[in-house]
Order: sequence, then C-alpha cells, then structure tokens
Amino acid sequence: MSLSFMIFLYVFLIATALVISAINDILSAVITLSVFGILLATAFAILQAPDVALTQAVINSGIVTALFLVAFSQTEKPECYSEEEEE
Amino acid sequence: MSIRPFIFRIAALILCVSLGLMLFRGIAALPVPEKVIGPASHYLARTARETGARNVVGAILFDYRAFDTLGESTVIFTAVCGIAMLFSRRKFHRSSSGLSFIAKRGIGIMVPFLLMYASVIILFGHLSPGGGFQGGTIFATVTVLLCVVYGSSFESQYFPPRTKDILESGGALLFSGIGLIGLAAGTGFLSNIAAGFPAGTFGSFLSAGSVPILNVAVGMKVGAGLSTIFYSMIKMLDAGHDHTEGGIPG
Amino acid sequence: MILLSYATSITIFCIGLYTIMTRRNLFKTLLGLALMESAVLLIIVSSGYIPGGVPPIAPFIGQAVNPLPHAFTLTAIVIGASDIALALAFIVKLHRHYRTVDLDRIRGLRG
Repeated sequence: MSLSFMIFLYVFLIATALVISAINDILSAVITLSVFGILLATAFAILQAPDVALTQAVINSGIVTALFLVAFSQTEKPECYSEEEEE
Repeated sequence: MSIRPFIFRIAALILCVSLGLMLFRGIAALPVPEKVIGPASHYLARTARETGARNVVGAILFDYRAFDTLGESTVIFTAVCGIAMLFSRRKFHRSSSGLSFIAKRGIGIMVPFLLMYASVIILFGHLSPGGGFQGGTIFATVTVLLCVVYGSSFESQYFPPRTKDILESGGALLFSGIGLIGLAAGTGFLSNIAAGFPAGTFGSFLSAGSVPILNVAVGMKVGAGLSTIFYSMIKMLDAGHDHTEGGIPG
Repeated sequence: MILLSYATSITIFCIGLYTIMTRRNLFKTLLGLALMESAVLLIIVSSGYIPGGVPPIAPFIGQAVNPLPHAFTLTAIVIGASDIALALAFIVKLHRHYRTVDLDRIRGLRG
C-alpha cells in the first residue's frame, strides 16, 4: 500500500478521535466510535493482519456500539422508580 | 471560581502532550525488524508439521497457547455473570411490536444466510482467517438484530435464556473436556497431536486435530455470552417504551 | 511506515487520556477508555509488521509477518469489549440510583 494512502487513513483516524472527544452529544459520539472501529479495521487489514481486522470490525462496530446505544437510551428515559416490584 | 476548570484543562493538556512526546521517543528507539526472530519464527516454521493447521494465529490461540484462551473465556464468563447479576431483579418482559412489516420480512429472509456465514467462519477457523471469537460474535449480532427488528419477547421465545445458559456452560465444559483428554493420554493438559487427535491431510476440512472442536466450543461460549449481555440490558427497556418501535429508539 | 503508525496510536492514546481526565459525563469517560484501548491495539499490531510481508496463513509466499502480536490482540479486543459492557451496566445502575450521569453531581451528592 502506498504511503500517501496510509497518511490519509491515519489523519482520518486522528480526526475521528478528536470528534469523539470534543462533541457534546453522546449519540453522535457513539456513532463516531463505530466509524473509528471500521477505520481501525482497515488499518489492521493494511498491516497484513486479517484475523485481527475481522475481530475488530465485528466486535467494536457491532456489539460495543449496540451496547452503548442500549445503555444510553436507558439513561435518558424519564425516571420510573416505582417499578422495583412488578408482577 | 470559573477559572479553576480552565487551569485544570490546561494542565491536563500539558500532561498529555508531554506524555505523548516521551512515549514516542521511547517507542521510536525500538529497532525495525527485518525478519522474524524468537518464538514466532518457530511458530511460523513448524505449525504445518506440528499441528496440521493452515492458520498460524488460530494454531497459536488453540494449540500452543490454548491455556490463555481458556483464561480469556473465563473473563467473558465473569463479565456475563456480573451483568446478569446486576440486572437480575427484573424477571418479566413486556412485548413490543418491533419494526414495520417490510423490515420484518426482509430480515426474515436474511437471517439464515447470516447464521450460515457465522458457522462458516467458526468451522473453517483453522484454514482461513476467522475462528471461534469472530463467528461467536456474529451469532450474537444475529440475536441483537432479532431483538431490534422483532422485539425482545420474540427473541426470548426463540432463544430462551435457559438455552443460552446451557450453550455457554456447554462451551466451557467442552473446552475443559478436550483438555482433560490430553491429560488422560499422558501428554499434558490441552495437547493436540500428541494426545492422539488425528492430524489429517494438510489443508482439508478435517485436519488440525482438536483445533476445530475448540473453535466450536469458544464460538458457543462467546456467542451465548454476548447475547445474554445484550438481552439483560434490553429487557427492561421494552418495559417502558411500548409506544416506540423495537428495543433501541431512533 | 511503522513510525507513522506509532505516532498515530500515541496521539489517539493521549486524546483518550485527555477525554477521561476532563469530561464530566460518564459516557464520555467510557468512550475515552475505548479510544485508549484501540490505540494500544494499533501499537501491538504494528510492532509485528515486517515491510513487504504477507499474512500468516500457510503456505507463505515470501516473508510472513509476526503472528504473535495478532494472538495477543485478539485476546485484548475481546477482553476490552467485556469490560466496556460491564462498565456500561455500572453506569445504568448509577443512573438508576442517582438519577444523573454527571460525575460532578454524583460526587457532590455523596459528599
């Protein structure tokens, strides 16, 4: 792979990390984390590591993003503390 | 009083920049290797003969260092236990309607192919990149998809939590059982060819001894574990959101 | 090219560290932790790269890259996902108890 493509990919990676750190909306930051995971999987594939690229793409852009979204939507619903005991 | 957070941020920035510079100076002093030396050269040269597997990383994970993989499976098991214990108060699940009809029909056609893809990645882990972890995670992703599209009550009806418990424990027991076979044969815990597992012909599907069986065990464990984690966290969400669609709003 | 990978990953590590130190929202802290873990994975994988190498799938056509960092990285990815899941469960329980995910207010409520 040519060096200029690697430089472009790494600049994109750093820019995505800055967006995750600086943005105030949590939902946008979680989606950007998914983008970061896919870019990192591309970098792993260029570094001749196919196993690692597959694992990174599936776990970080699939499961971790889904768990973040579920946890985030748990903490923004109106508080309902009366349902400690149900049925 | 509003200047103190600003000073703290400047100090944190200076700390991070200086830490980064020092780390870079330390790492840049490492030599760039021209060829592989050390244990890795042994693994590269001898894997085809000693294990019969084509995927060197899979052979390292499931033959040479299989004990570390057992420890990692235990870490996943501990995380699943912790999360299920934190969310154990809720023992009910309300129904939610899921997404629209078009989404349900479309995903219903796609799910068998996704399951086949996950199975191929697990079963051919000793021949091509892949293995138990990747395939197990794709299984868990399929259950996440079913939760989102059809509602969590549908998903718990087709993959009940008891089945996931049995699958996860079964994977752990299978892994330990394969190890104990090696111990009973007199060659050591989790040994592969020396314990009598057939090496097969190089490059065919039935080869590499116990590596495919360990792949299946780890795939069961990881898939069931991650699916249990997701289901524990989502089953309360449906209880309060009957008017929105699916498990994840937006 | 390996030096470029090292520089990028150290930059991402420092961005993650800054996020953990200065953000009040607990989700932001966890995102910073995920950034730090990903940066360490990039360091590990690029330390095993050999220029002009091929992936470690036998039979090799040339010089294969070092397969040991790949094995470490697989383990590290899965364990990282597990600990992020557990931390998310803790955040949901904290929100249940304190009705906020703002770290300053949680500390203020306890003190």
